[in-house]
Amino acid sequence: MTRFLDPERAVAGLVPAGGVVAVGGMHATAAPMALVRELARQRVGIGRLVTSPSTSIQADLLIGEGLVEELVAPYVGFEDLGLAPRFRRAVEEGTIRLLESDEGGLTHALYAGAGGLPFVPLPPAIGRSDVPRSCPELYREVEDPFTGERCWAIRALRPDVALIACAEADEEGNVAFGRVPFTDRVMALAARALVVQVERLVPVESIAAREAGTTLPAFLVSAVVVAPGGCAPTASPGFYPRDEAALRAYLEEARL
Amino acid sequence: MSAPYSPQQLMACVLARAFRDGEVVVMGAVPALPLAACRLAKALHAPSLSYVVGGSGTVNPAPAGLLSQSCDPELRGGPVTLPLHEVVLLEGRGGALDVFCAGGLQIDASGNCNLVGVGDPARPKLRGPGSVGLPFLPAVGRTVIFTLAHNPRTFVERVDFVSGAGDTVALVVTPLATMEPDPGTRRLRLASVHPGVSADEVRARTGFELPVPEPVPETPPPTAAELAVLARLDPAGVLA
Repeated sequence: MTRFLDPERAVAGLVPAGGVVAVGGMHATAAPMALVRELARQRVGIGRLVTSPSTSIQADLLIGEGLVEELVAPYVGFEDLGLAPRFRRAVEEGTIRLLESDEGGLTHALYAGAGGLPFVPLPPAIGRSDVPRSCPELYREVEDPFTGERCWAIRALRPDVALIACAEADEEGNVAFGRVPFTDRVMALAARALVVQVERLVPVESIAAREAGTTLPAFLVSAVVVAPGGCAPTASPGFYPRDEAALRAYLEEARL
Repeated sequence: MSAPYSPQQLMACVLARAFRDGEVVVMGAVPALPLAACRLAKALHAPSLSYVVGGSGTVNPAPAGLLSQSCDPELRGGPVTLPLHEVVLLEGRGGALDVFCAGGLQIDASGNCNLVGVGDPARPKLRGPGSVGLPFLPAVGRTVIFTLAHNPRTFVERVDFVSGAGDTVALVVTPLATMEPDPGTRRLRLASVHPGVSADEVRARTGFELPVPEPVPETPPPTAAELAVLARLDPAGVLA
């Protein structure tokens, strides 16, 4: 049964201290900032933070609060607005353990987590990069049992909880994404528990009318948090664009 | 006398000319310049070009202006949007995508790109955003590198970390010049200097030994037709 909770109860009840926490949203779009801010407010320690292939303020903020021990994030930045200051400082000063990863590897690792695969072999191109050999915690070389050739594989990622932002939920706890789910659906499927922040509640017929692949069934949703405006300062597709002034203000403060 | 143009407008034209009709181009973060180039190519010489704005998965988006965010909700497909994990599948498959538009904090003489950082990766002097999709570069037909920073810190003999290997690099475009790999050595050499730039200046601002052809070709400036399309695509002057 999906529970409808406020951010405080959702974080207190579903995010284990020191656990593996996945936070969705790509770049500055659809980040579950109401939940992220609540993690910071309750000062919940995160053993390993797993992000989307490209993350932004949703990770930088938690890192800046000193809450993240270990990080799996193929890109942390603010695109046209600049680098991620607190992430940058934490890596340069060695106060965070960063596991190098790449967009493809992370996505496949979440798929593996979602489907119960222990690991996934990766396309050969990946081996031309320094990423896999610099992170044995995630990447190992294996032998292709069919050809005998060596290839890189990535270990499954199975977050304890995923925090994502969707557009809408119905009263049963089925949820619908905004226009593009990015990798948030995969992240949701891989996690043992799922907290979904939504802009609004809608009748069940409205969720039923959505296309396959843009929704998640209530049985996967541990808790729904109704938080209108809760993605700000990131964009919420169909509701509001990114708040560039607020992001610039964040960056200015974070660079100090 | 040609119309005035900005360095970024010229870069968009050079990138656009590198895309052939029927090809599929993929781009990543901060897509304004490659987005302009793809739309320019499509408008002028490559009507059946397809382009994917990586993070969003949108195919052939044609927003009212040039956008600088790869997941901007204003990006709309024309009419298809691929879920991100499907873009990842295609990137890995090899041969599914023709051109990857890449960049880096460091770019080296072999066309390797580094988005991880400068210095020892364990304790970098400068930490960059991370490798994202660059490890896929060898799986695409051609890599086209673009950067606004043509200086010896960016163009180095050897990157401190290979985010994406330069195996498929075909072209490098900067505000000063274009470079291409020598077919024999695969090392980058000067291909052309932009109008008003000397080969000596390019060499001085490149941190590796850059072979220079004799005579040095000049990059053809934007045509009136190219500038007219860019003015229409970029009413806010993002590239100005």
